[in-house]
Amino acid sequence: MTETKRTSGERVLPVAVVIGSLLLWWGLAAAHVFPESLFPDPLAVGKGVVEEVITGRLFNDLVASLFRVTAGFLLAVVLGIPLGLVLGSYGRARAALLPAVNFFRNLSPLAWIPFAILWFGIGDSPAVFLIFMASFFPIVLATVAAVATIPMVYFRVAHDYGLTGGEMLMRVTLPAIAPQVITVLRVTAGLAWVVVVAAEMIAGRDGLGFAIWDARNGLRIDLLVSGMIVIGLIGVVIDRLLFRLTRIPSVRWGYER
Amino acid sequence: MNDKLLCLDDISHSFGGVEVIRRFSLDIEPGEFVAIVGPSGCGKTTILNILSGFVRPASGRVGCEGRARMVYQHDGLFPWLTVAENIALGLRHIGDPAERDRQAADLLELIRLRGFEGHYPHQLSGGMRQRVELARALAGDTDILLMDEPFSALDYLTRLRMRRELALMLEERPRTVVLVTHDIEEAAQLADRVIVLSDRPARIRCELRLDLARPRDLTHPEVVDGIHRLLFELGLEEDRSDVRGDVFVDA
Amino acid sequence: MIRSSMARWIVGAFGLLLVLGLLRFKPWQEEVVRPRQQLTVGFLPVTCHLTCPVTDFATKTSTSTRFQSQRFTDFPTVVEAIKGGRLEASFMIAPLAMKMREQGLPIKIVYLGHRDGSTVIVRKDIPARSLVDLRGKTFAIPSIYSNQYLVIRKLMEDQGVGADEIKFVQMAPPDMPAALAAKAIDAYFVGEPHAAKAELDGSGRVLYYAKDIWPHFISCVLVVHEKLIKEHPDVVRDLVRGIAESGEWAETHRLAAAKVASPYFRQDEKVVRYVLTQPKDRVSYRMLTPTDEDMLVIRDMAIKVGILKTPIAMSDLIDREFIPKDIRPADIDMAGAGK
Ligand SMILES: Nc1ncnc2c1ncn2[C@@H]1O[C@H](COP(=O)(O)OP(=O)(O)OP(=O)(O)O)[C@@H](O)[C@H]1O
Ligand SMILES: [Mg+2]
Repeated sequence: MTETKRTSGERVLPVAVVIGSLLLWWGLAAAHVFPESLFPDPLAVGKGVVEEVITGRLFNDLVASLFRVTAGFLLAVVLGIPLGLVLGSYGRARAALLPAVNFFRNLSPLAWIPFAILWFGIGDSPAVFLIFMASFFPIVLATVAAVATIPMVYFRVAHDYGLTGGEMLMRVTLPAIAPQVITVLRVTAGLAWVVVVAAEMIAGRDGLGFAIWDARNGLRIDLLVSGMIVIGLIGVVIDRLLFRLTRIPSVRWGYER
Repeated sequence: MNDKLLCLDDISHSFGGVEVIRRFSLDIEPGEFVAIVGPSGCGKTTILNILSGFVRPASGRVGCEGRARMVYQHDGLFPWLTVAENIALGLRHIGDPAERDRQAADLLELIRLRGFEGHYPHQLSGGMRQRVELARALAGDTDILLMDEPFSALDYLTRLRMRRELALMLEERPRTVVLVTHDIEEAAQLADRVIVLSDRPARIRCELRLDLARPRDLTHPEVVDGIHRLLFELGLEEDRSDVRGDVFVDA
Repeated sequence: MIRSSMARWIVGAFGLLLVLGLLRFKPWQEEVVRPRQQLTVGFLPVTCHLTCPVTDFATKTSTSTRFQSQRFTDFPTVVEAIKGGRLEASFMIAPLAMKMREQGLPIKIVYLGHRDGSTVIVRKDIPARSLVDLRGKTFAIPSIYSNQYLVIRKLMEDQGVGADEIKFVQMAPPDMPAALAAKAIDAYFVGEPHAAKAELDGSGRVLYYAKDIWPHFISCVLVVHEKLIKEHPDVVRDLVRGIAESGEWAETHRLAAAKVASPYFRQDEKVVRYVLTQPKDRVSYRMLTPTDEDMLVIRDMAIKVGILKTPIAMSDLIDREFIPKDIRPADIDMAGAGK
């Protein structure tokens, strides 16, 4: 529980790696191994970032992408966990639906792009739909697996102590699956963030993914790289944030056994 | 308080093709402490499950007039609740929060885990966990305590200590107890009546009564004698002539 | 404990969504009321579609229909948007428009996007003088449904190069300059500015301008859905006039056109300016009436290479009803251009 104090090496090393890669990048660019307009140096990319920040496009794109990811992901969580609970608890429903869920889980969300446009047009909703499709099925499957592996003894204890119905759900089933569900949430949030880049290829006017595609179309590799950097950084922030879920005291047990 | 009756009348049960219990009967007096010993896989847990109502026997009658709680063979504490929250589960029926807190504090005192209220089960030792589980089962006003090898996972010394604590706790909060155990010492040291079961399908091979106040010393002559008797009955020791206590060999 | 911290997370998650939603949709900004009619027109950031953003810019201030240009990044998405009924007018490559028509999608070609404006680029270190020298080489095209592909196939035939003597690969236009620089491909034929890019990078040189192969080469057309023609013929009329006048203006105001269009394309103004001026006739925005002759050539080539199956009738495909008689350059106020 208590964070062990990080040694100075642990703190210095990641910074050194970042600086090292920047130097390598800069060296490659300065040596003109690749044409300059196809392989910009860090300075040009930095200028690109500044340009995007000043025009307000970066903030706009960031908000657009985060909005879509949050909406699609939350929708998947809000619908996926209950469905997983139902499938995990009722053998018949599981037998009927699990093969279908497994089937869809294997489809790349990008294959849905034509249908996303057909059903949702262009703009936010098809992207939200694709992110939903990317995260929903893994969440359902993980919830089903988690429910199926709850030790019987917990339900018996709950019964002995008079917990029934909704209380059983809130005080036994949900807390018992929480650690596994949190793990899958971390994984799928990363997945959703990856998918947004592809989802935003669908004609929109904004979004970090769109900005990357657009920069590519616009022959602006510097803006493309600055978009990549922002996407990578936000991805790290999202994972750090969701990592804190595993720090909730009442789920620690799931990670310390 | 404990004027209810716990009884099994001509019970038979099998799982699939495996006959586990055949025509089994047992009556337990209110306030009695009954220990059940027997070879592994003979059906002890199944008998407890039938007593608690979790398993419906294929035939026979179960009488259980009173509220029963089980202490499980494997960790039955909720790992997502703290010590205090787990114990509070046993006090759910008490409406008045102040009274509930008072009783929870009493129980913590009883199991000597003051200061550990906010700890989660995975932060406790095995013995501490078992004490919390006992406290949770003893909390409130249930009548019957069903225990399935509650101390089997503990080391020898802790086991000795836990037996003592169970005896002391029962002194404060008397219950009708059915204790399933592999540990003959444990049975002899705690029970009013030890029931020795045969191999599957379970029958009562013999009963041993021990009329002695708890807590008992392990070296008390009557306890030592009970251990000898039980070992003999299980075919693990030669017959001894200086038998004490009453042994009834089942017909 | 679980309840309270979980509850905090749940509230936090939905709070985040709410905040993002507010930042995104800015409900405090009052919607500008637009009494005027409005139509969204799709385009890709290629010079062939230049008149689309120019028309958007021109109708910002005009009093007729407002044309909102919507940038797409690829043609399949454009097609899907039209099929889904989310887009009623767009620029697209001519054979693809025919393919859609063949599939029964009720669209009509009402105007052309441009003339010329495509270029064959070869690697600088390959001393090719014609397609004959490109035998056995890898050649990139944007799509087999593109006019560029049809024209190259025709030229190969003319020069006596067999259909399988050049290795064709389909590639997204923005990737072509990089692929050429990496020597993954040896030559490519694409709409500007993706050809000029390799020239500016120094990795490629011009082998043919489109006009050298096929004078007044056509690659892109303006299509509209028949539903729009039926329900709002006046809007279609406004649109074709707007595009035509924007073209006339761009023809004579090339530097200004580069300035207007580059933010819409989100491309470097220098690149757009280069395409529009080096040389001046690299691309042209005049003579944009789709004639049956031109379209028949494209159709027959498409059938020949197997991308179309039926000889669709020109009367089904083309609607010249909306083309204005006299085309004057659009009156464009350069204030606010380039942003
Ligand atoms: N749910 C079940 N399904 C099928 N067979 C079962 C089930 N539960 C118990 N059995 C069988 O019944 C027999 C008795 O099991 P039980 O758990 O009652 O034994 P036990 O006396 O408690 O053993 P141990 O001392 O090892 O805990 C075993 O042979 C086991 O195979
Ligand atoms: Mg057992």
